[in-house]
Amino acid sequence: MMVNAELYVRDLPGQLVGSLEPISMVDGNIVGVVHDREQMVNQRILVSVTFEVSTSGQLDQLKAIWKSMDIIISKMGSVYETITTEYMVLGKFNAAYVDGLIEQASKIVNFESVDVGYSSGKSVSGKRTALITAELRGEEERIRLDEFFVHSCERDNLMLIRGL
Amino acid sequence: MVSLAISGFGTVGQGVAEVLRRREKFLTERYGSAPKVVCVMDSKTVARDPEGLDLAEIEKRKLETRSVGTETYSDSLEVLGSVDYDILIEVTPTDIKTGGVGLKNIKLALSRGKDVITVNKGPLALEFSSLIGLARKNGCKFRFEGTVGGAMPIINLCHENLVGENIRSVRGIFNGTCNYILSKMDKGQPYEQALKEAQQLGYAETDPTNDVEGYDTAAKCVILANSVFHRDVTFKDVKITGISQITADAVAQAASHNMVIRLIGEVSDTKLEVSPRLIPVGHPLGISGTLNIAQIDADLAGPITINGRGAGKIETASAILSDLIAILDERYGHA
Ligand SMILES: NC(=O)c1ccc[n+]([C@@H]2O[C@H](COP(=O)([O-])OP(=O)(O)OC[C@H]3O[C@@H](n4cnc5c(N)ncnc54)[C@H](OP(=O)(O)O)[C@@H]3O)[C@@H](O)[C@H]2O)c1
Repeated sequence: MMVNAELYVRDLPGQLVGSLEPISMVDGNIVGVVHDREQMVNQRILVSVTFEVSTSGQLDQLKAIWKSMDIIISKMGSVYETITTEYMVLGKFNAAYVDGLIEQASKIVNFESVDVGYSSGKSVSGKRTALITAELRGEEERIRLDEFFVHSCERDNLMLIRGL
Repeated sequence: MVSLAISGFGTVGQGVAEVLRRREKFLTERYGSAPKVVCVMDSKTVARDPEGLDLAEIEKRKLETRSVGTETYSDSLEVLGSVDYDILIEVTPTDIKTGGVGLKNIKLALSRGKDVITVNKGPLALEFSSLIGLARKNGCKFRFEGTVGGAMPIINLCHENLVGENIRSVRGIFNGTCNYILSKMDKGQPYEQALKEAQQLGYAETDPTNDVEGYDTAAKCVILANSVFHRDVTFKDVKITGISQITADAVAQAASHNMVIRLIGEVSDTKLEVSPRLIPVGHPLGISGTLNIAQIDADLAGPITINGRGAGKIETASAILSDLIAILDERYGHA
């Protein structure tokens, strides 16, 4: 899940870096950090951090560590789960076809990211393979995207291999 | 002493005979006497003896003459209708289109109040609920552990050990032939060559359609859906995609992303599907070779993974033995 947190950290040397270390300690991934010296409150600076953790247990652990370090969590929001899902399309199509599919799909789901790779092999039959890796917000979006790809590939007579 | 009739005496039927011989002492100790086999049928002949047949003799005769008996027959129902037995072990060939002779044999046995053990998927994939209904109506036990996953215990595991769980889904590899082919493709072999090799090794039949088009896995999924999820579905309700269209290119591209392609059967309250899927390397369902594997997602226990040999003479007979013991335990209890 992706989490945005606003922290108030003491304005002392090493405190900013120190406030980010616990994220790695719970196996989280820092996606972005902004600190704002203009917004000083009680000699604390505002640090806005976006990070990714896999479970709410990790998040609870992180909150406990921050608390023990006298870091104030003023806001924690936009918490959403991100799911990576893969689709392999096999058959006769070109890159424009896949681009079109992704464009249509982006009308029904919010892609966090999407990546397309094509097979390098040249097949005599003219068939090719595209692997689409998409990052989505949550299971419901994944189900919608699954249905979209299943329907599109059936309609266009292509083979679809989904991720687990 | 309980008496058994065995319909079908090919690989599995002969495996049953061997296992009954190998476990005679165990069965005698557990129940006071071992079950006796009073009737054995192959496609054309029957051997019968109300006092019990000598199984070693029958196996030898089948090997030497290709027949189990000297008495020929034309209608298996007539034979089974005239023999006095307690439990039918039905191991004739699977016919996914009509249910074949197995369906008729099972129906007759259940309607005569006989218990039935089978590993024949056809009848269950086509007429699961009517067979279960018939068994209930006539107070018969009807067990079919070996229909899914061969020696890998899955149905009884779900019914017995996991009976208090809410099972959310079962996903697995239920066809060793497909998995062998896909594992070979992981190593760079093209599909046709991998299939040929599977045929040469006896894993795939001359006509591999049932395996590679996913029909065999689909039949197993139907059995799981009906028995574990208490759904009322048949073979035609399964969404099936086989592996025959998978290219070496696709396998290589999956590998370049640290994934393999495996034919997965997926069953839940709402899903009933057989399709090739992309599996991360290292995931339990990414296994190679001919083994079967299943992942059961249970609400209290969480994920449970089991694997084992999905086919084989003695392996499949072991599943039949476990069903036989369950029936005998219910009938007689055990020490
Ligand atoms: N083999 C495995 O590892 C395995 C694993 C799981 C489930 N199964 C299932 O077990 C069943 C048996 O498989 P198998 O490998 O033993 O097959 P098999 O070797 O082909 O043997 C089938 C047997 O059934 C007999 N038969 C055919 N038509 C018959 C009829 N109308 N009446 C009575 N007997 C008849 C055959 O007679 P003849 O000997 O005269 O030809 C043969 O003895 C199948 O349903 C299969 O799907 C097999």
